[in-house]
Amino acid sequence: MGSNTAEKALQMLKFLPRVCLANLKPSPGSRTSKKRGRGQHGGDKHGAGNKGSGQRQNYMRLGYETGNNPFYLRFPHEPYYQGHHLRREYPPLSMLDLLKLIEMNRLDASKPIDLVSILNTGLYKIFPDQRQYGVNLTDEGADVFNAKVNIEVQWATEPVIAAIERAGGVITTAYYDQHSLQAMINAKKFFERGVPIPRRMMPPPDAIEYYADPTKRGYLADPEKISEERLVLAQKYGYELPQIEKDPEYEMLTERKDPRQIFYGLHPGWVVNLKDKVILKPQDEELERYYAS
Amino acid sequence: MASIRTYLQRIITKTCFMHPRVYNSPQIRNSSFHSSKFLVDVEVNTKYETTKNPEEWKYVERLLPVTTVPEPKKLPVYASGWKPQGDDLKDRPYFIARTRNHMMPVYLEIRQRGTARHTIIKKIQGDIWQLEKDLRPFLEDLLKPKNLRLQVNEFAGKICINGDHVNAIKYWLGERNF
Repeated sequence: MGSNTAEKALQMLKFLPRVCLANLKPSPGSRTSKKRGRGQHGGDKHGAGNKGSGQRQNYMRLGYETGNNPFYLRFPHEPYYQGHHLRREYPPLSMLDLLKLIEMNRLDASKPIDLVSILNTGLYKIFPDQRQYGVNLTDEGADVFNAKVNIEVQWATEPVIAAIERAGGVITTAYYDQHSLQAMINAKKFFERGVPIPRRMMPPPDAIEYYADPTKRGYLADPEKISEERLVLAQKYGYELPQIEKDPEYEMLTERKDPRQIFYGLHPGWVVNLKDKVILKPQDEELERYYAS
Repeated sequence: MASIRTYLQRIITKTCFMHPRVYNSPQIRNSSFHSSKFLVDVEVNTKYETTKNPEEWKYVERLLPVTTVPEPKKLPVYASGWKPQGDDLKDRPYFIARTRNHMMPVYLEIRQRGTARHTIIKKIQGDIWQLEKDLRPFLEDLLKPKNLRLQVNEFAGKICINGDHVNAIKYWLGERNF
């Protein structure tokens, strides 16, 4: 076999041109041509410029002036935002969005609406660990709001309260502490943990004034004063106050939570078992005293 | 040194005797959460009552979220401004499907660290070029002195427009019952 190929090669040499410098070539595949980069830097900068934040794509934080005394710190006394990192936040939900949720069947207006039912839609979120304490119902869409609701929010202004009461509804502003909010952001997950429902804490001193104010429809305010204020607001805004007592949905509209209660109809201290569909209630005297309102 | 060690040991044995459960059971350190055994027979010393009341359970069911997006209510007029999709869309050359949340698939995309705004229409079916032809005069009218920059992605069924025209396009689509 080997001799055969050698013979063949010799045979071929007879007809091939003579090997010389003019017809020598590198073997195929041994040399690759270099690609020429396009643009100013031949593509080695990837369009990001040369040096600094531009190249490293680590853009400076807002207000930073590369070592200068920054503008926002240049003047010694600007107290408007003092303690802003400690203040309570109420992420807004407009009345128009609320109406949309009701009309699109995301929220059931035939039952009381509270933070849990708003969070259960999945279209509104709060992060209690970022000091977000619940819904701020804003007045966008107050003029077209026509749903009769029993709603509980965490913050509301006068036009919002007027719009809801004009439509025949009821509004309450209520405070929830961090632990309660953690249970409320995902009630199903909370029940699966097998932990007793926590009791709601009283609002902190700087919030107690708001939540005890009948003009804000606070949950700690005297109900008689609230009904007085309802009439006052109706006269101020010039609408006829619909009578709740004669409403066919009177029971739904008057359903309220206890100041220590988080979920409607469920007492703090109870443990809900979703698997066996039973509720465990403590009977220890000490626990009963602790969870009593 | 030795005296300190004996002193510490004495303290540890003392505290362990104060908590007999800790003293009796040695500390177990499982390698990971997943490999650890299930907790069994937790001692419950509190008195409790197990109740099965359907009236109370209704309140629990109220708190459980729905697993699917519900169908919107059928109303003669929607005060919120939302409109359902029309039924008379079969004879149109193109169709724009609603999203799973029953909204129009028109989105604003902010790019280039907030400097570039693009409007994107998605879920376009049928003759996308006809839609572009119909939409073009409406948008050109809005932009008048400037010219319209619009891209059609036929394969993905998307149209990308330079600038924020989300509300204008939603209005235009609403006029045509989409």
